[in-house]
Amino acid sequence: MTGTERRGDVALHEVTKRFGPTLAVDRVSLTIPHASYCCLLGPSGCGKTTILRMIAGHEEPSSGRILIGGQDVAGLVPAQRGTALMFQSYALFPHLSVRDNVAFNLRMRGVPREQRHREADRMLELVRMTAFADRMPAQLSGGQQQRVALARALITNPRVLLLDEPLSALDEFLRLQMRSELKRLQTDLGITFVHVTHTQPEAIALADLVVVMNQGIIEQAASAREVYARPRSPYVARFLGGQNVIMGKVRDQDGRHALLDGPGGALFRVPLHERRPRPGEPVWFAVRRDLIHLARAGAGAVTAENSLEGLVEAVEYQGSFVKVTLATATGEEFLVNEPEAAFFASPVARGDRALASWQPDQVHLLEPDRAGAGGSPSLTAAA
Amino acid sequence: MRRLVPYLQVAPLATVLLLFLVIPVGMILVVSFWSYDQFDIYPDFILDNYRYIFTSPVTFSIYLKTIYYAVVTWAITLVLGFTISYYLVFHVRNLLWQIGLFLLCTVPFWTSNIIRMISWIPFLGREGIFNQALLATGLASAPLEFLLFSDFAVILAYVHLFTLFMIVPIFNAMARISPTVIEAAVDGGAKPWQVVLHVVLPLSKTGVALGSIFVVALVMGDFFVVRTMSGGQSGSVASALNNEIGLLQYPTAAAGAVVLLVIVTLMVAAILRIVDVRRELAA
Repeated sequence: MTGTERRGDVALHEVTKRFGPTLAVDRVSLTIPHASYCCLLGPSGCGKTTILRMIAGHEEPSSGRILIGGQDVAGLVPAQRGTALMFQSYALFPHLSVRDNVAFNLRMRGVPREQRHREADRMLELVRMTAFADRMPAQLSGGQQQRVALARALITNPRVLLLDEPLSALDEFLRLQMRSELKRLQTDLGITFVHVTHTQPEAIALADLVVVMNQGIIEQAASAREVYARPRSPYVARFLGGQNVIMGKVRDQDGRHALLDGPGGALFRVPLHERRPRPGEPVWFAVRRDLIHLARAGAGAVTAENSLEGLVEAVEYQGSFVKVTLATATGEEFLVNEPEAAFFASPVARGDRALASWQPDQVHLLEPDRAGAGGSPSLTAAA
Repeated sequence: MRRLVPYLQVAPLATVLLLFLVIPVGMILVVSFWSYDQFDIYPDFILDNYRYIFTSPVTFSIYLKTIYYAVVTWAITLVLGFTISYYLVFHVRNLLWQIGLFLLCTVPFWTSNIIRMISWIPFLGREGIFNQALLATGLASAPLEFLLFSDFAVILAYVHLFTLFMIVPIFNAMARISPTVIEAAVDGGAKPWQVVLHVVLPLSKTGVALGSIFVVALVMGDFFVVRTMSGGQSGSVASALNNEIGLLQYPTAAAGAVVLLVIVTLMVAAILRIVDVRRELAA
C-alpha cells in the first residue's frame, strides 16, 4: 500500500478520555481502514460520541494517541486533520442561506465569491438540494437540513467524514432513504466514514466495520456479519439482537464438548473449540433465533439436551417468519423466529407450552463481557 | 362580552401609555406653537419657536456636540459590551460564575446616579486621587488637567453609566447562539477571529441594535451628566432645554423637545433599518 491509499486510515492507541471524575473512554485501541464505512454502535453514554469528537478535534484525549493517515493529530484543529463532522443537530448557520452555509469553508479560506458559489452549487447537486440554494435553514425540513449539513461537510474535501447520529432525527421513510444514500456517497467518494449510532439495524446495514461499545470500552470490533452471527460476548449478542443468550454451569467436559447445567434442570451440550472451562465455571452461549426448532411440548419435565421448555407469551406474524416469545427458566425473554411454513404446519398460541430445541453445532460460545460483570443486565435491542 | 375581553386585556397598558406618553407628548407639541413673554405663556399658533431653533447658530453646534458624545459613547460601549458579553458567554462556561460576574457588572447601579457622578470628582480632580497617584509614582510631573470638567470626563461618565445597557442585550443574543454552531464553524475551518466575525457577530446583531438604541437615546436625552462632568463648560441639547425651562421659555423648550424627539426617532429608525430586530427575535 502506498501512502496516498492509506490517507484515510484512523488509528486510536490506548485513547482515554476523562470528564472530571467520569471515565468516558477507557484505553480504547482501534484501527479504521482507509475508505471503509465504520459504525460506532452502543447505547447512549457508552463513549461513542466522545470518540468521534476526539477524532474530529473537538475534544482532546486525556491520554493516548490518535493518528489519521499515519499522522499524529494531537493539537491540530479540525481543518488541519482533514476531517469533517456532521453534527447530530445539523448546526447550520441560521443567518446564512443554504448556499452560503455550504460555501462557509471556502469563504474561510478566502476563495472568491463566484468560485465558492459554483463549488457550493456542485455540492448541493450531489445531495439533490439545488432547488433550495437560496433558502434559509429555518425554512427547511429536518431531512433537507441534513442534506445541507452533509454538503457543508463534504465541501472541505475531507479524508474522513464523521457523522454523529445522522439518522436519528429523521422519520422512518427518510431514514431508510438517507441510509442508502450515505452508503452510496461513501462508495462514490472513496473516503472513510465514521458513523455513530445506537441503532443496530443501521450499523449492520451500513458498516464494513462495526464497533460495539459499552461503558467506554470496545466489546467487539468486526464486520457486520461477524458481530451479528458470531458475537464475542453476551453484551454484543444482546445488543445486536437476533440471538438468545443462555448461561450454564460446566458439569463436565471432554475437550471437544462441555456439558452445562442450565436453569430449571435443562442440560446443554456445547462445542468448546479452544476453550477449556473448569467444572462449575459459568459459560455463556448464544443460539440464533432463526435456528431453533419449536414444538408443542408434551407433559413432563424436559429430558432432551439442548432444549428449553417455556410458556408462549406472544406470537407475532412478521411475513416471512413468525416471532414467538417464550417465558423460560432462564429469566430472560427467549425468542424464536420460525419460518412461516414451519410455524403454520404446527402452530402454537399464547398460553401453550412449547419446547424449543437446537443442534449443538449451532451454538456459539461467548466470552464474558469486558465491561462490568459477565452477563450484565439485559439490554434488549430492537428486534 | 367575549369580544370585550381582548380590549380589557390591553386596557391597563393602553391607559399607562396614554397618560404618561401620548398626552404629555401631545401637550409638548401643542405648547411648542404657543407664544410667551417674561411672565407667562399664551395659547397661540405661531412658528417663531421653531424659526428660532432653526436659525440659531447655537442649535447646530449643540447638536453636533451631543451627537459627538453619542457616537463616541456608542462606539466605546459597543466594544466593551461585545467583548464583555463574549467573555461571559464563551469563556465563563459555568452558569454560577456567569451570574456572579453579571451581577458584578451591575454594581455601579446599586448607588444613585448622582452619587456615581459626584464620586468621580474627588477621583479625577486636579488634586484628585488619580492625579496624586500619578505624581507620587512619578508617571506625570504635573497634574493632568483634562481628567475633569472636560469632554473626556463626560464620555467617561457616559461609558460608566451606559455600558450595562449594551452588555445586557448583547449577552442575551449571544447566549442564544448554540455551541454546536460555533463548533461547526471551527470544523468548517474558521480561525477564532473568523468565528467572531462570521458567526458570533452576525448572530448578536439584535443585541447590538437594541443596546445601540438604549445608549444613543440615553445620551441624546441627557443633561445631568454633561452639566456635572463638564463643569458647565459644555452643553447638550437637553441641557439647553433645561436652561430654557429655567428661564420660563416653555414654548421654545417644547419646540426644542419636539425637534430632539424627531431626531432621536430618526436615529432609532436608522438602527432598526440596518437590523430587523423583529425578524431576528422571531427566528
